[in-house]
Amino acid sequence: MVEIYRSKYYSLHQALGERAFYLDFGQKTIRMSLCQLLSLRHKVMSISLESHFDGALNKHGVEVLLLCNKEHLFILNTLEIIDLKNMVEHAFVALGLSAEREVLAV
Amino acid sequence: MKDIARQSMSIKVESMDLLNAQIKMEAHASASYLAMASWCEQNGFFTSAKFFFKQSEEERGHMMKIFNFLVDTGGSPISPEVTNINHDYASIVDVFENTLEHEVKVTKSIHNIVRKSRELGDITTERFLDWFVMEQVEEENTIRDILDMIAITGTEGVGLQMIDNQVANWIE
Repeated sequence: MVEIYRSKYYSLHQALGERAFYLDFGQKTIRMSLCQLLSLRHKVMSISLESHFDGALNKHGVEVLLLCNKEHLFILNTLEIIDLKNMVEHAFVALGLSAEREVLAV
Repeated sequence: MKDIARQSMSIKVESMDLLNAQIKMEAHASASYLAMASWCEQNGFFTSAKFFFKQSEEERGHMMKIFNFLVDTGGSPISPEVTNINHDYASIVDVFENTLEHEVKVTKSIHNIVRKSRELGDITTERFLDWFVMEQVEEENTIRDILDMIAITGTEGVGLQMIDNQVANWIE
């Protein structure tokens, strides 16, 4: 397996033989196709970080992520979400699917 | 290293995001034209209603064209949520003026995606949008012609009825 990108909490790997990706969440590693990775990207990038700093919008400062057709469920806090957004952005640049640009590291 | 990602997807994710936003815009346009058709039906402009029913179908066709392009290129098309559809219009002139405004917005959005895909070196998306650029010229021209016809006919007396009858010229 080839490591695509590693952030503080997460790492993305590419399994050549399986044509699949593995995302290590620390306590759990999940297998994903590119479609599922794109879906994860959409979900993660749609999360409004502003709501985490507004008690009325997000009282507990957590996000529930349902991945891979509801096969996996993660509850992430603000720092984990920021890190996951960062990881997703960098990983897509590393995969060559996103134009290279400066991404703020956390 | 074998490039699984590139083998599975042939456009940039930034282009995909912009095209998903365009899908939403086309869906909004389709729903807005349906609302306009409803207004026309309720206010006795039956030919204009037919025109807007057809326009609504066309916009949905545009949406599906982009949706299928994302499928073909290995992207992830998102079925759009459509909200905030206006059903209130002051007059038939207001309806067509809103239509032109909407078409101009769509044109600007398409041009923006063309510019961005050019910046990204995403030739596939840029070439795909060629058809949309020319389609928007036609769409804007149609509505401008109708507004010109309305200005010449005038809305006094039987003017409104004449306007509605003449809209038939733009229904293919």
